[in-house]
Amino acid sequence: MAESVEPPRFDLARRIRWPQEDNKIPREIFTDPDLFRAEMDGVFTGPVWVLVGHESEIPKPGDYKTISMGAAPVIVIRGANARVSVLVNACAHRGTRLVEGPSGNVLRGGFRCIYHMWTYDTDGRLIAVSLPEDFPQEFRKEDYGLPRARVDTYRGAIFATLNDDAPPLLEYLAELTGGLDKVLEDGALEFLGSIRVIFRANWKLYVENIYDGYHVTALHTGFQVVRLRSHGGERLVPNYERNGHLWGRSRSTPVNQLTPALRDMSLFDTRTKPTTDHNMMVVFPSGVVTDYFDTIQMRYVIPLELDRTQIEFAFFGRQNDPEEARLHRVRQGPEVLGPAGAITLEDAAALERVQLSATARGENVVLKGTPKRFPPYRHVDEAPIRHFYQAYRRLMGFHSDDH
Amino acid sequence: MLTSLVDAQGRKQAALELLVRYIRIVDDPRRLAEWPDLFGDSAEYVVITRENHERGLPIAVIRDDTKDRIIDRVTIIKNFWGAGGRAEDHHYNESWPRHIVGPAWVEFTESGEARLGANFAVYATVQVDPEPRLLALGEYQDVVDFSGEIPKFKSKKVILDTSVLQDVFVYPL
Repeated sequence: MAESVEPPRFDLARRIRWPQEDNKIPREIFTDPDLFRAEMDGVFTGPVWVLVGHESEIPKPGDYKTISMGAAPVIVIRGANARVSVLVNACAHRGTRLVEGPSGNVLRGGFRCIYHMWTYDTDGRLIAVSLPEDFPQEFRKEDYGLPRARVDTYRGAIFATLNDDAPPLLEYLAELTGGLDKVLEDGALEFLGSIRVIFRANWKLYVENIYDGYHVTALHTGFQVVRLRSHGGERLVPNYERNGHLWGRSRSTPVNQLTPALRDMSLFDTRTKPTTDHNMMVVFPSGVVTDYFDTIQMRYVIPLELDRTQIEFAFFGRQNDPEEARLHRVRQGPEVLGPAGAITLEDAAALERVQLSATARGENVVLKGTPKRFPPYRHVDEAPIRHFYQAYRRLMGFHSDDH
Repeated sequence: MLTSLVDAQGRKQAALELLVRYIRIVDDPRRLAEWPDLFGDSAEYVVITRENHERGLPIAVIRDDTKDRIIDRVTIIKNFWGAGGRAEDHHYNESWPRHIVGPAWVEFTESGEARLGANFAVYATVQVDPEPRLLALGEYQDVVDFSGEIPKFKSKKVILDTSVLQDVFVYPL
């Protein structure tokens, strides 16, 4: 009888040389297709929690959205019992995608697979199959429910994990909950809509850009034109020994002190908060939560290919917003933090260029702020990127010696 | 009876000519400064996914709901997107837009409003790429304002068929 030998899980760890210094990043990690496939497993189905939505996006029973956790397509659905589930979007029979579009409501009847009419309820339980005669004796519908991710929410933010070893969500978030409390408050948000866009870059380049405070004044010319600056501020990495989260917080120049380079400066106005304090967070590995100006936004990262990443920008208001505040958020959000807004285009251009030249063998270097070994860092530092990669290396089995 | 028929025909023709003028301007990045003049004083330019449009979700890709915002878009393109240099000197990835538009149709509502619709595709050619990129595909749902000397857009709504943008936008669609 042939023995099946378990191949080494990530022998890429031997193939890709990670320098000793933890501020050096080998470019192969952006160009190696085998590594990409291994990451979809090692990172996105690892002991992490992936941000997949907010409860306000699926308010009514039967409401769902589709998204991916790494390469695993999932349905985030509010069940008939009002509970949120995250179900794998593949029929348990022969793998057919159950739901095609970005969002919808299944109303009665749950999900029906087009191929052989297997029907699931909103919790993913198999409730009916067509022509059930002549199935194996031992076939039981109970054994063929849709695989479910573990789900937990914090202030309405929906997190999912496909790994039993992920610690409880609160433990995983650690002190990041302080920042989430500021942005999400009691979680009573109103979903205003999403915009999805493809970046022509590896997913890690997108995420590390959020950790990088160094690029903000250099790349985002709009801030310079209106003379918007951050006053003080810091970049924290809560629980950095176990995770690679980011919590950046700063105070920015109030709109009445900016150079009025635009006719409509409400773009840069903060009027729903008492101060111009802002938070920009990443829940490792990929969930972005921010409240710049009056824009409450979450971003979900879906790696599509080695050099293609889909980012979903989801915008929210608060349920108790007066109409004028809601309209202000609708007008401001995409304009300042959306893919056709004043800033994001520049990030896209920079990331695309990093990806284009990643085939030049060598290392990218993180410098600013690195004389300090541990957080907190200054707001303009790029040093937090190290912690993202430390967490990444732990998940992927790349060893490095910390000094 | 005859004069109102001629009037309607005349307006229809003028609306279609406005659309052609629009396309010729948006296909030439060097003519960006002329783009706001295609709009009346009380105008809006909205780019939105079909999903959000039909679900009634207010988040648009672009929501320039006043003439000031339309004019600001030109300022943002010329002066904001520069990556540290003079924005006018930098074109991200030097891409050239090309609109393929049509068929176009004009309908008059009971209140006399002229609604102009058309299918469109916008390609962007980056000279070092062998294939042009399809930037956007969808439908214009516009309203033309005849109150001034020449017809202008009161509303230009660009409905994108996709829910996933293939690219970030620079120039107007």
